[in-house]
Amino acid sequence: MIVKERVLVAMSGGVDSSVAAAMLVEQGYDVVGATMKLFCHDGDLPDRPCCSLDSVNDARRVCQTLGVPHYVLNLESAFGRDVVDDFVSEYSNGRTPIPCVRCNTFTKFRDLLVKADGIDARWIATGHYARATNGELFRGLDHGKDQSYFLWGIQRSVLSRMLLPVGSQTKAETRAVAHRLGLEVIAEKQESQDICFVPDGDHTKIIRQRLGSDAPALSPGPFVLSDGTAIGSHDGFARFTIGQRRGLPGGFREPMFVVAIRPSDRAVVIGPREELLGRGVVAREVNWLVDAPSIGAHVELQVRHRAKPARAEVVRLDGAEVELALDEPVSAIAPGQSLVVYDGERVLGGGIIERAAGQRAPLPVRAA
Amino acid sequence: MPDPIYLDHAATTPVRPEVLEAMLPYYGPRFGNPSSVHRWGREARTALDEARERVARCLGATADEICFTSGGTEADNIAILGAWRARHGQGRNAIVTTPIEHKAVIASVHQAAREGAEERLCDMTATGVVDADSYDRLIRPDAAIASVMWVNNEIGIIQPISTLAERAKADGVLFHTDAVQAFGKIVIDAKAIPFDILTVSGHKIGAPKGIGAAFIRRGTVIEPLFHGGAQDRGRRPGTENVAAVIGFACAAEIAVAEREEEWVRLERMRDRLERAILARIPDAVIHGRGGPRAPHILNVSVSGTDSESMLMALDLRGIGCSAGSACQSGSITPSHVLSAIGVPDDVAASAIRMSIGGLTTDACIERVAEVFPALVEKARGVAPAARPARAS
Repeated sequence: MIVKERVLVAMSGGVDSSVAAAMLVEQGYDVVGATMKLFCHDGDLPDRPCCSLDSVNDARRVCQTLGVPHYVLNLESAFGRDVVDDFVSEYSNGRTPIPCVRCNTFTKFRDLLVKADGIDARWIATGHYARATNGELFRGLDHGKDQSYFLWGIQRSVLSRMLLPVGSQTKAETRAVAHRLGLEVIAEKQESQDICFVPDGDHTKIIRQRLGSDAPALSPGPFVLSDGTAIGSHDGFARFTIGQRRGLPGGFREPMFVVAIRPSDRAVVIGPREELLGRGVVAREVNWLVDAPSIGAHVELQVRHRAKPARAEVVRLDGAEVELALDEPVSAIAPGQSLVVYDGERVLGGGIIERAAGQRAPLPVRAA
Repeated sequence: MPDPIYLDHAATTPVRPEVLEAMLPYYGPRFGNPSSVHRWGREARTALDEARERVARCLGATADEICFTSGGTEADNIAILGAWRARHGQGRNAIVTTPIEHKAVIASVHQAAREGAEERLCDMTATGVVDADSYDRLIRPDAAIASVMWVNNEIGIIQPISTLAERAKADGVLFHTDAVQAFGKIVIDAKAIPFDILTVSGHKIGAPKGIGAAFIRRGTVIEPLFHGGAQDRGRRPGTENVAAVIGFACAAEIAVAEREEEWVRLERMRDRLERAILARIPDAVIHGRGGPRAPHILNVSVSGTDSESMLMALDLRGIGCSAGSACQSGSITPSHVLSAIGVPDDVAASAIRMSIGGLTTDACIERVAEVFPALVEKARGVAPAARPARAS
């Protein structure tokens, strides 16, 4: 008898991970479904009782339909430490974090992998639109849905244990599979654009909960131009991100953007479009999913999800730090976001953006 | 895979065939409402009255002291909230309880506290028994009720109910005990021990889910939780769940009749499993070991493992256990019971509760004694070669 290989599928209750589980059942794997409990709203949201209960229920119903076991795994404390704490601290430092990246790196593809080991699961699967083949990571086949940008941080060795079944199809195909396999519970579920622990879209709430409403990141500060001219005040720099237009003072001849956030004097620096342009980028916490490229290597990079890839050259490699020089300037390089390095479809690696390098305008000086 | 092994009898048990058989007529021809005056009603009323007497006999009580409920949770609520609401206006505002109670008691006490009650939690010893001095200090004439569970559902520790009830009585404090895990294991005799209210549940002893009872000593005044008809002397309005009550009476009689023999059988199996685990995993921690324990619960922690992974791994090998308490989502949170008796968090986080009962045989114990240590060794990274060969 052929022993079916066991796979632990991380199931959020959404259509992508549900279909991933269903496809793996069809492909003959011994599927075990797991929903991670990552945070608890504690009755904060009256219509969502606790612990994203509805998602858990949907994932459980899907597993019941598929005839596979389903477990709820409590990863709340590790997630709080690795993802939520960092989220709050990054915002307090005037940066714009992507918690999903850290969740993939630390929670899904590290902590959950330990659980997979505990049940002898050879594989771990998710509903990401990306492809893991022969120990390498590639963009999702459907470029409109590609989620490879969020996966650069995982350990290279994990790639050979990853199954990403929906990464080789379009979202429409995923929904069609859901209908074909009778997963009506979730087939037409809308996907959430929210951060899972910020369900109402207000990320300042969690900062306030953790740091108090008098935290510097949520306290009034000045709007300044890059020459230091003060032009008004804002109610907390954590409400702003590089490239943002909403919520800025008006009365300028050209559109103005947030071009820098300076926690030292709580300043939000605004300027015209050209001040957003960066000619290079420096990233830290660098992780390579291939052998590290050499200095002088020509690659493509993205500094934002869904951004058009930009050509660049590796100019400095320094342990966990990398600097790339862009062939053409790129707009709104935001500290805290991810730098992801590609070779066409293949993900080479990535890091957390520390700063834009070689900007046309010098870094703004502290306002008097 | 070999036949699955159910080691979660403290969670629930299957309905016994003779219980189901006794119930069936009340879902069929004897469907009457006990409150009706006609023959159908009379027939149901007779069965209900008899069942009440049968349950009363099992507890050393009289029939009027038995109040049927939807289960243990409701009976605990009636005891705590019913007694406190009836007494707090009489200068008795405090509730004395322990930190190792079932959630039904803890949450009822919290609800009373929201309504103004003073909560008093007594200290526990490291084996999980109520600290006598602490309890003694907390019982004062300003307390409405004290509630201490007879047998703990997570570690099986037995409390000295007789002493605790006597002490409460001395200060005029009502004494309640949740005896859900004690019923069928320990002699419960309302004539011998002066508890005022006692909780029992059907589905832990082979009756269906959704039926339980509160023993409420004659003369004990409680404020009903529900409002409606005059059923059960107005203590618990609502048409009686006649079939389930019949099933409960039947299961209770069997449990009491088999009690002594079953204790011996379970204790032998529990000790055997415990010895086997300790032989293979000498540093395993058996919670409550050395204290007075009911024979059906074995709670073990092994450092270097975690409850969640062990439960999954055991389940995928066909062995059903439990750990801690499940939240709404079904995820496991570390046990409040283990924390309360001073078990460090990392040890509590690896606790597995195995509870044996009617479905457990020597063959089950033998297989668990093999599989559990093997899973532990794997989780701890012991090379498979170091393990004895296993027949597959």
